[in-house]
Amino acid sequence: MKQHREERIALATRIYELDGEVYRCLGSNLGRVFTGKRDATIEELARLMCSSEKSHYLRSELALISNMARTIQDKPTRARLMREYDSILQEVESLPTSFGRVDILDEQMASLNAASLSDRFGKGDHLVICIGRTYGSAGTDIGFALADALHINYYDTEIFTEVLERLEAEQDHVTDFVSFSHEKNPNVTGDIHDRKMTLKQRIREFSRYHGLSKRDAIFFNESDLLCEKARTEDFIIMGRCGDRILSHNGIPHLSVFITAPFEKRVQRIMATDDLTEKQARKLLKTLDRRHGSYYNFYTGRRWGDPNSYDLCINSASYGIEGSVELIKRMVDRQSYKKPASNK
Amino acid sequence: MKKLSALAAALLGVLAFSVTAMAESPAGETGTAVPSLLYCIPFAGILLCIALFPLVKPTWWEEHQAPVVLAWSLAFIVPFVMGFGAHHTAEVVLECIINDYLTFIVLLFGLFCVAGNITLEGDLAGSPRINVGLLLFGTLLSSWVGTTGASMLMVRPIIKMNSWRKRKRHIMIFFIFLISNIGGCLTPIGDPPLLMGFMRGVPFFWSLRLLPILAFNAAVLLFVFYHLDMRAYRKDIAEGRKPDISKPGTEIRIAGLHNLIFLAAIVVAVLLSGTLPSLPLFRNADGTVRGIHILGEVTLTWPAVIEIVIILASAWLSFRTTSAKVRTENHFTWGAIKEVAILFIGIFITMQPALMILKANGASLGLDSPYQMFWATGALSSFLDNTPTYLVFLTTAGSLGFTEGIATALGTVPAKMLVAISCGAVFMGANTYIGNAPNFMVKSISDENGVRMPSFFGYILWSLGFLIPVFILDTLIFFL
Repeated sequence: MKQHREERIALATRIYELDGEVYRCLGSNLGRVFTGKRDATIEELARLMCSSEKSHYLRSELALISNMARTIQDKPTRARLMREYDSILQEVESLPTSFGRVDILDEQMASLNAASLSDRFGKGDHLVICIGRTYGSAGTDIGFALADALHINYYDTEIFTEVLERLEAEQDHVTDFVSFSHEKNPNVTGDIHDRKMTLKQRIREFSRYHGLSKRDAIFFNESDLLCEKARTEDFIIMGRCGDRILSHNGIPHLSVFITAPFEKRVQRIMATDDLTEKQARKLLKTLDRRHGSYYNFYTGRRWGDPNSYDLCINSASYGIEGSVELIKRMVDRQSYKKPASNK
Repeated sequence: MKKLSALAAALLGVLAFSVTAMAESPAGETGTAVPSLLYCIPFAGILLCIALFPLVKPTWWEEHQAPVVLAWSLAFIVPFVMGFGAHHTAEVVLECIINDYLTFIVLLFGLFCVAGNITLEGDLAGSPRINVGLLLFGTLLSSWVGTTGASMLMVRPIIKMNSWRKRKRHIMIFFIFLISNIGGCLTPIGDPPLLMGFMRGVPFFWSLRLLPILAFNAAVLLFVFYHLDMRAYRKDIAEGRKPDISKPGTEIRIAGLHNLIFLAAIVVAVLLSGTLPSLPLFRNADGTVRGIHILGEVTLTWPAVIEIVIILASAWLSFRTTSAKVRTENHFTWGAIKEVAILFIGIFITMQPALMILKANGASLGLDSPYQMFWATGALSSFLDNTPTYLVFLTTAGSLGFTEGIATALGTVPAKMLVAISCGAVFMGANTYIGNAPNFMVKSISDENGVRMPSFFGYILWSLGFLIPVFILDTLIFFL
């Protein structure tokens, strides 16, 4: 099985590199066939190879590369790349259809499985913990205390502030949709301040966010920033779909979701935010809905679904300290080795 | 070789069948022989080849398009020679090549060249909002630079902006719906059938009356597109795809902008081809348009020569004045235009019997209401050249004896009837890849640049799913 996987990865790498080479030889700027991240694309291609149901998809992707390759002006280059294409095509067509039938293992799921944590972090990988939480579950406090206990950085709204600096945007014009810090007012439901803008301002905003909505532009920049940080330091990231962003970029991490029974959360925020019960219930419902919608929009998954995380904690069962201890024990159990360069 | 022999044998079978059918060809009411429906078999055959070969034998098809097209053309020409004589056949074929195909392909070639020399550089990210904006802009542009011009101008920027995405075929399909077809309904520059109408006496700005229908169709289709695109966009993001927006601010630069002058020249050339024939300078004493006599009644008219010269000169100047780097960045190749040139010469030749049958029987179809005209013109424009189809139904409408409406050279046509014929011819060209010239160009360019476009029948399914319901709404609101 492992040998088959290596073969598939090698073949997928050849396909990915052929696409890149064709695109480079053309000198076009209209886009190549595989525009995703290298590792993620190769993984996806390798997965397609073991699925007979999706083999047509793989073939049509290959056909797109050949469409481009055939338009290369330089004949020797075109011939060389078409030979490589033909060779790849032959190998793809000779793939045994039983590749995927040996084991029931879903490699993508397995890579997220807590039981396989010991294999997750390689030498030199940084410890990144992604914590999703519901408001009122003390998830923020748990994350902060855990960062303190592990002596690693803690990021929540700091990421948002850095993104705004990258975008050269003004903080008072944009709402941090993901953070809970702005959302103690139950009447706040919009993600962006509704204010009248002049045409000049609109054009400036259009240019600043590359024609995207503010929310999308911020999410994409947060994604870049998280990946950059994950390659250079250990940290805990609160929310922001960090688990999915890092998964898509092939960056090892632990994903944790913290929640508590609704009634317990109501009681807690009545005490911490000085709200009436009615206000607390309304606020929690609004925030749960908004966070669920945000997570679903950017990941295609259901927020808080246990299938998406390594560990789900009911903080009402463990308390803040107990939850910190639980996650810490999990981190200690796996073979994570702190890189020498990490500070 | 075996397969080529099999194909040749099959074509010979068709040929023999057509020869038999020839004897059954009935005579029209005017006494002119009308070809039997069986003469349309080569046309159906060529369409089936376009539809099926890219699916079952893509590489073979790419290498053998020209012989297949030639074979189907001969499958029409040889029986036609036997049935109608060599002279008449030569007239029919030359008429369609000289007067229809030549100007069609030269216009397409010119716009393809000039638009290929304009490139948009920048990091604007393709998103539902941007795509709706671009489609709307392109739709409005189509009426002023022609559906082909707007398509060639917009296709690469849209492909480029959406290059980060995986799911993007729907963008190009709605591009064909809106920019390559529906958007061209407002002026005679927009689409050739309207130019034909203008040449027959329909006032230049009369087509602006189609604005409410255009606005309705564009609004419905863009609304549907936005939701489709948003769904695809979300799936792309959920898979971890994202545009490169790491630099603060968007820098948009258009290289080769001076080519807009050549684009304008081509638009003027098209306009001249519609206006010059009515000038006395270009007319003979018998009212026919002056030109180079080819054979029988086939003449390459001087206005057509002027149009061709201006277009080719514009294309040549565009190449001479633009750096090759721009074309490289645009992934400019001759593949798309070559494919269209080969396939469409076969389509133009083999569709002649269908057009003859339509011309002979158009008036006897009993169509006398706008909704009938809309669907009849549209259904036939989906597969045949929409310009002669438009003309047939305009002639039919003009001969119905109406006394109120738009006075044309073919008779008085009620405004509502003319609106229906115009909309049918322009809008329903979007129903198939061969319904309008730019459709296939957009498909070919998309295929070459990493967009997996649907097959011939796959595209028709998209039309059935999204366009036909809109046309039904058009019928209920505007044509009943």
